[in-house]
Amino acid sequence: MRRIYLVLALVLIAGLAAPGAAQQKLKAGFIYVGPIGDYGWTHAHDEGRRLAQQRLPWLETIYVESVPEGQVEPFIERMIQQGARVIFTTSFGFMDGTLAAARRYPNHIFAHASGFKRNRNMATYMADFYQVYYLNGLMAGALTRTGRTAYVGAFPIPEVKRHLNAFALGVRTVNPQATVHVRWIFEWFNPAAAKEATEALIAAGADVFAFTEDSPTVVQVAARRNLPSFGHYSPMQKFAPRHVVSGQLVHWDRIYIDFLSKIYAGRYTADNLADVDYWWLLAEKAVELGGEPGVPINPAFRAALQAARVSTPDLGRVSVYDLVMRRLAQMSAPQMTFDPFTGPIRDRKGVLRVPAGKRLTVGELTSMEWAAPGVVGPWPKEP
Amino acid sequence: MRRLGPLVLEPDPAPPPARVLGVSLLALAGAVAAAGVVFAAYGADPLYAYAVIVRGTFAGLREISEVVRRTIPLLLCGVGLALAFRAQFWNIGAEGQLLAGAVGATAVALFVPLPGPWVLVAMFAAGFATGALWGLLPTLLRLRLSVNEVLTTLMMNYIALYAVAWLIHGPWKGATQFGFAYTDTFPEAARLPLLAGTRVHWPTLAVGLALAAALAFLLARTRLGFEVRVLGQNPVAGRYAGIDPARTLLAVMVLSAGAAGLAGVGEVAGVHHKLLDPGQVSLGYGYAAIVVAWLARGSPLAAVLTATLLGAIFTSGDVLKVALQMPFRVTDVFNGLILFFLIGSERLLAVRIRWAPPAATVRVGSGLPGTPEAGGES
Amino acid sequence: MDEGGWVLATAIRAMALGTPILWGTLGEIVAERSGVINLGVEGMMILGALAAFVVAQLTGQPAVGLGVAAAVGGAAALLHAFVSITLRANQYVSGLALTMFGLGLAGLLGRGWEGRPLLDTLPEISALTYAGLGLAAALWAVFYHTRWGIVLRSVGEMPAAADALGVNVALVRYLAVAFGGVMAGAAGAFLSLAYRPAWTEGMTAGMGWIVIAIAIFAAWDPLRAVAGALLFGALFHLSFRLQAWVAPELLKMMPFAFTILALAATAGGRRGQGAPEALGVPYVTGER
Repeated sequence: MRRIYLVLALVLIAGLAAPGAAQQKLKAGFIYVGPIGDYGWTHAHDEGRRLAQQRLPWLETIYVESVPEGQVEPFIERMIQQGARVIFTTSFGFMDGTLAAARRYPNHIFAHASGFKRNRNMATYMADFYQVYYLNGLMAGALTRTGRTAYVGAFPIPEVKRHLNAFALGVRTVNPQATVHVRWIFEWFNPAAAKEATEALIAAGADVFAFTEDSPTVVQVAARRNLPSFGHYSPMQKFAPRHVVSGQLVHWDRIYIDFLSKIYAGRYTADNLADVDYWWLLAEKAVELGGEPGVPINPAFRAALQAARVSTPDLGRVSVYDLVMRRLAQMSAPQMTFDPFTGPIRDRKGVLRVPAGKRLTVGELTSMEWAAPGVVGPWPKEP
Repeated sequence: MRRLGPLVLEPDPAPPPARVLGVSLLALAGAVAAAGVVFAAYGADPLYAYAVIVRGTFAGLREISEVVRRTIPLLLCGVGLALAFRAQFWNIGAEGQLLAGAVGATAVALFVPLPGPWVLVAMFAAGFATGALWGLLPTLLRLRLSVNEVLTTLMMNYIALYAVAWLIHGPWKGATQFGFAYTDTFPEAARLPLLAGTRVHWPTLAVGLALAAALAFLLARTRLGFEVRVLGQNPVAGRYAGIDPARTLLAVMVLSAGAAGLAGVGEVAGVHHKLLDPGQVSLGYGYAAIVVAWLARGSPLAAVLTATLLGAIFTSGDVLKVALQMPFRVTDVFNGLILFFLIGSERLLAVRIRWAPPAATVRVGSGLPGTPEAGGES
Repeated sequence: MDEGGWVLATAIRAMALGTPILWGTLGEIVAERSGVINLGVEGMMILGALAAFVVAQLTGQPAVGLGVAAAVGGAAALLHAFVSITLRANQYVSGLALTMFGLGLAGLLGRGWEGRPLLDTLPEISALTYAGLGLAAALWAVFYHTRWGIVLRSVGEMPAAADALGVNVALVRYLAVAFGGVMAGAAGAFLSLAYRPAWTEGMTAGMGWIVIAIAIFAAWDPLRAVAGALLFGALFHLSFRLQAWVAPELLKMMPFAFTILALAATAGGRRGQGAPEALGVPYVTGER
């Protein structure tokens, strides 16, 4: 009998002590449009989620992959039922569903990647590559021997067009006669299509490759022909160590950790997110130059890039290698003393798109439809 | 007829419905058990997984409404296919016909200005018509040239897929969609109303249920239905009876493909409010409906039940993904297992098992009292 | 971009992409000639792709990977064979179930193998391509000039007659379906060992359905299967090459439209050019 009283006493003590001892955990749910094994967009988001969970001891996360666009709302609800207080939806197509859910659940917090609609409890976020693509373009312009570079694009939407244009601007800065040949595969993930598009571009004479596709296929195809390329999204240098010059890398964890920390600290609540729009670039370290973290330029190409020289209005005559590193530093600085889309810039039809001395606003960047000079190939919905 | 020791297996052409249901449930139980093995291999407690599934699909209004939402396109396609299979017209093209219906509805929604509720009526009509049209070519090829419709309808699925892709990237690309591959969003009048508190676009559901009832009536009570049944079971006899296979088949195709087209209308007008990537418009509903119709054994009313079953199965996969953090492919493993078990159980259904120890049957016709199954069997 | 360069480049790409399609198609043709339609090619291919990749990673020998993949494909096909032939279930549904199950299983088991570069790969235009062509020729000879071919075709056209002549219909069908699986598994292996080479879940991306389509397009004839596979590979490549002038979706639609045309053109019940009569119909020994 006495033993029971002892047990009860212990339980009582534990119960009293619990609220003080236990930390309030924050549970966040992540909704992905593709599989985390895609080694592209979704894989990078999941990496961000995992790093955030590692670094924030009070964070608990759940995720769902390959959610069809029409199903985003039921999945959000299921996550909320599982206790998630913050929901991240990682695809443009989830925008309206996320907004509807945000209105339905005013006490929960939502964040939508790559979109533009917000609410008191719904923020938007994006880590964009255009600066990195410009740097890649500088290198491509120096390395091309045929004067033809290539870009395998996913969809002809402003995001990809912006990256393509930045790449082209970089190429032309170093090699004013060079061209960027583009082919579209109309899917984010289709290795067979990426392969055939690359082969078609090789047949057209291109010898340096950049792309937007969620797999290392372009890198592998180019490497088989001994041609250089730039990795995309995930570290791809290991797929062709002697052929990947550089690339674009993303660190979604920077945004996730920042956003979740602010929520945990009470700075971001379900009422004040209507103007929270992360547009994070090199300066915020949300994106990185390189085919592998910490390696902005593959050492195998250092000599070639140092040998190529180019004249610039503000830095004089420098090697391409130095130019890349200098521009990288300028764009990584908080004041961003350089931006690729600084006027005067005309599109490939000759229409003035950026007036002299001006930079493009975020709104103009996210609705870009024109093609930069030097771009050759189909360009749907060209204004 | 085969003998296995004291048991005799003989073909049973008309198994009683009770046995059909019983065997099917048994098969489902077997599949669920096998899925439990998969869960265990992934480190999840199978019983917990089952509890999660039941809770997530049936525990509340919201949950049930999600099952219903998934069931609607399966119901429409499945009911149509049940009719088609009854006539031995193997329409594998419901997927493409669904997309064709979606295209028809989109055309009306975006380009045909009509007052108020007439838009929705016109969209349904247009969807039915375009869906039926999409099934026309395979039907004509079968009637005129005896081309197997399984193959032609399958090909039409791909053509529809690329046609939709061409539309959303090309002529119908939306001006307000930030350059993404969607059409413009439908105006308010062209969106289906939802059942309060849920996401169920109830007009489509109503149409589906009405269609099931109508087709059941058609099959049982009308001359066309009689022709369909005869054509399905014995085409030669049908010709002797003066049934024109062309007319019957065309009618079947129009109804079956049109039903799939209606499913497409429901998806674009009730779920997405725009036309988008074909793989998002239809999550494989056209192919899943083949299973719905096959399980229903050609009965449109039974298709209502089997469509709900499949809707529940799809939804339970979604629930598992969230609650157990399982990779999304677990749904396919689950569905595949269920199908295999159900298919395997078919054989059990087609067979009647009798207890007839050899000693008794040797004395054919002896009529000795007390011996089981005496007389008549060899 | 000279004219000769275009043709040569397109031909090479057609052969590269055509190789896995041809292998898969030849296997499906054999299966369908025996009267069993196997819609599970996608599932068998992806299981083969995963098996090949994993074995090649572990052993460093892509050839061993290819062999294991073929065996895996054959085993998966046997499941379909058991359900379709012995249990006499609906073949279409069984094939669909196999596709679902194969995709699901490959996705589950393949977790963790993604994103790994494969260092020992097979070249694209290689022994496999020529073996495929050789196999097509061999199958053509077998179909039309040997007793085995007659046995196979009779089982698909009139199983009752074959049965009456003492042919073990079930065994022939089992072997044919298993052969189809072996070829599909090998085709999948080509994808993950030579064409890409890599493993990503869902990487077959519908190629299994293309195989089924080309088998039909080829009117179940091995030599026409070569033409079909090459045509498809060429059109797929050209859809990117000609992107500036022709909408890619229209080009991608063409193989399927051609198939319908081919079906219409070769139909009318002429012998040897239509579908095997008993395709998709389960055969019960002793019944008509």
